[in-house]
Amino acid sequence: MAYLEMHGITKLYPTSGVLANDAVDLSVEENEIHAVIGENGAGKSTLMKLVYGLEQPDAGEIHFRSEKVEIRDPLAATRLGIGMVHQHFKLVPDFTVAENVVLGSEPRKRGLLMDRRTAVKDVNKVIEEHGFSIDPKRKVKDLTVGQMQQVEIVKMLYRNAELLILDEPTSVLTEQEIERLFETLGNLLERGKTIILITHKLDEVTRMSHRVTVMRGGKVVAVRDTRDVDKRELSRLMVGKDILLEVNRGPKPRGEPVLELKDISISCRGQERPLLDRINLQVHSGELVGIAGVGGNGLAEIEDVIGGLRRPTSGRMFLYGQDVTSLGPGQLRDVGLAYVPADRLHRGASLPSSVRENCIVTRHHDFLRAGVLQRRGIREFTKRLIDHFSIDAGEGMPAGNLSGGNIQKMILARELASQSDFILFSEPTWGLDIASSQFVYEKMLEMRGRGAGVLLISSNLDEILALADAILVLYRGRVVGRMANTERLSKEVIGEYMLGLRDDSESPSETVTSEVQCG
Amino acid sequence: MDRKRIANLLSSTTGLALTVGISFAIVVLLILVLSEQPGTAIYYFFVGPFTNAYYFGNMLNQAIPLIFTGLGIAVAFRSSTFNLGGEGQAYSGALVATVICLALPTLPGFVGGTAAIIGAILIGAFLAGLSGFFRMRWETDQLISSFLVSSAVILIINFLVTGPLDDPANSMLTTARIAQQFQFLKIYRPSKLDASIFFAVAIAIGTYFFMQRTHWGYEMRMCGINREFSKYAGINVGKYLLVPMAISGGFHGLAGAVTVLGTHYRCLKGVTAGLGWNGIAVALIAKNNPIAVIPAALFFAYLDAGAKAAMLHADVTFELAKIAQAVIFFLVTAQALYGLFNSRKKKVTT
Repeated sequence: MAYLEMHGITKLYPTSGVLANDAVDLSVEENEIHAVIGENGAGKSTLMKLVYGLEQPDAGEIHFRSEKVEIRDPLAATRLGIGMVHQHFKLVPDFTVAENVVLGSEPRKRGLLMDRRTAVKDVNKVIEEHGFSIDPKRKVKDLTVGQMQQVEIVKMLYRNAELLILDEPTSVLTEQEIERLFETLGNLLERGKTIILITHKLDEVTRMSHRVTVMRGGKVVAVRDTRDVDKRELSRLMVGKDILLEVNRGPKPRGEPVLELKDISISCRGQERPLLDRINLQVHSGELVGIAGVGGNGLAEIEDVIGGLRRPTSGRMFLYGQDVTSLGPGQLRDVGLAYVPADRLHRGASLPSSVRENCIVTRHHDFLRAGVLQRRGIREFTKRLIDHFSIDAGEGMPAGNLSGGNIQKMILARELASQSDFILFSEPTWGLDIASSQFVYEKMLEMRGRGAGVLLISSNLDEILALADAILVLYRGRVVGRMANTERLSKEVIGEYMLGLRDDSESPSETVTSEVQCG
Repeated sequence: MDRKRIANLLSSTTGLALTVGISFAIVVLLILVLSEQPGTAIYYFFVGPFTNAYYFGNMLNQAIPLIFTGLGIAVAFRSSTFNLGGEGQAYSGALVATVICLALPTLPGFVGGTAAIIGAILIGAFLAGLSGFFRMRWETDQLISSFLVSSAVILIINFLVTGPLDDPANSMLTTARIAQQFQFLKIYRPSKLDASIFFAVAIAIGTYFFMQRTHWGYEMRMCGINREFSKYAGINVGKYLLVPMAISGGFHGLAGAVTVLGTHYRCLKGVTAGLGWNGIAVALIAKNNPIAVIPAALFFAYLDAGAKAAMLHADVTFELAKIAQAVIFFLVTAQALYGLFNSRKKKVTT
């Protein structure tokens, strides 16, 4: 039996109805680097949360070192010798390196007081043994991102972890730091550790791993020895075969530009590359433009800029020819923006509030008479939306009682009610079932059909290919591919752009000139 | 109102009744152990406030400023802004109202009284608004800034009341007495109860209406529930870090003015002490519902009146009275808080 064996692991998130893991099998051999790859939402992170005890599987078994185990919480995982470095570090900035490392299993003096000297000594021993270059007495907030990651790794080693899970460890690192990390991983391997590497970067997979498990849509689609595959095959396995979505797009002459982005950039001090790098983009009336990309490559930032929630560091944005770069969300809506956000449970809806209050939020001023909200008007308006969009809900119900699909329908209903000529959709079908997704697609095409400009930001290639007239691909904040959606365009090609294997753009900006500090 | 909501309401009311019952039982136990004449003590503690017009009227009178501070906290909390500076705001309201009345002793009663109340509201709104402004501008913590501003203001007012504004003709640490025409009408002699109780009830109902039915109230509530959502929808979220604070401070200033114009007629040192903190407790019990603030304030005043009666008529000491009060209040607030957190947790998981 392999070192770590997972059998028939199934995990359903009841709130959103997402089946994150569907009868997943994973087998990791002792002393190997095993890569788990897949697009966003493929279920990699969920699977690792189950190994680390952050979540419990609904079905399936986990065997670790030939023993059946039940991992109730991270403490249990730690006791078994399983450690995890999360994508977002879990460190206390105001504590020193040593304090962070020992946190939760501090050496004690007389059973009560923390023994700082022993802590520093022990941590230093781990650091020296593995050739890290961090001072245990420095505060974590003064470290670089790469060093913080080293602290996280030291934290695992201090707890004698034998199986190390790293969740997208390179996503925040510079090139040199990545090299450094790879050295460390090689070093750990020599000392007999086993490593699971979660990533969607194919370079790392082919360079570092022995074996690779590919996940898509909550299932394992392939397990390969790394030396037997090349990047192109991995990319194809990750994105899957073309699924023909049943939508009837129909040709449509495009009209005037409604939305235009000119050289939009967002850069932050202290960051190696800009989050958005000179984005140029036009959406014409009657046109549906799709922006594809893997999460973390600038999709969320574009959404925020167009929605007015984040001001770009440079560049201009025009809506119906009007310069709207400096306008906030409310003013943009007055000019004519409708916007269905990716984060529908937090940004798009207020779950404790009633469906009524959710529906009128963008236009409650319309229901005022002498400063008082007219309840009858609000009720009628909400009922109309519920009927037209066949939302399964009562108007007085808290939005949180609705299913994921119905929440999205409610948001759509509200946004489409404004009849604006431009609408932004961000990840509109993420986590929705097929029927609800189909409904969203119909509404999008309906908008396009009546001459509105539609911008679809999505990491789901199938829907981009099925719906968009023109496609832009974002990689590391840049538009690396720009193409019309013709019959010849295949998912593989877009997939290669998305994963950085193809790049039509000029070289990226090297220098970050801005002095803006980003959060 | 659907059945589920009624069931919810019932369970929360029975829960509250149970908590009150348990806390009363503990108090009875305490008195039984510590008092030589437990029968009398218990009788006056619980029934005392209703035994004569004087006690009863004073109890109602004490609830008036608590209604205002409770409303102030409820409005702030509903909007997810935090005002811990109620003590200083109420005290400054009391001082400003007194100073206006003393400075313009010849004004007709209504004009001068109104001016005093408006002045008090403005000073409270300004002090709390400062914290709102700081948070809007520099994202400072409202809990801390409002508390610090208030603490400083209390010291300054103490200085003024005992120094430059001290009334030499009086041996107490206080300002001079305001003129007769500014004093609120007594409506239930011999008690101190004055006409502003009607005003307080009307304001509570008005606040409820404001929060539920006007678009400012709607926007404030939406910001309180989910600021990200409100911003996305185009609500000016920055404004609603300041406005609810200013309203909250205004209510506290008003509470201070009412204390002076209705009960004490002068700004004694520490005349409003406790109003700010007790307002928070009142708002917690009322679950930030403006209408429910009225019974919550009355409940608080009842406990206080009971403790006072027990001290006068039995051998209950000041300390025992305070401990008994604290036990009841601690449990009731804990229950209110528990409900609050519980409902939040439910919202997240369902």
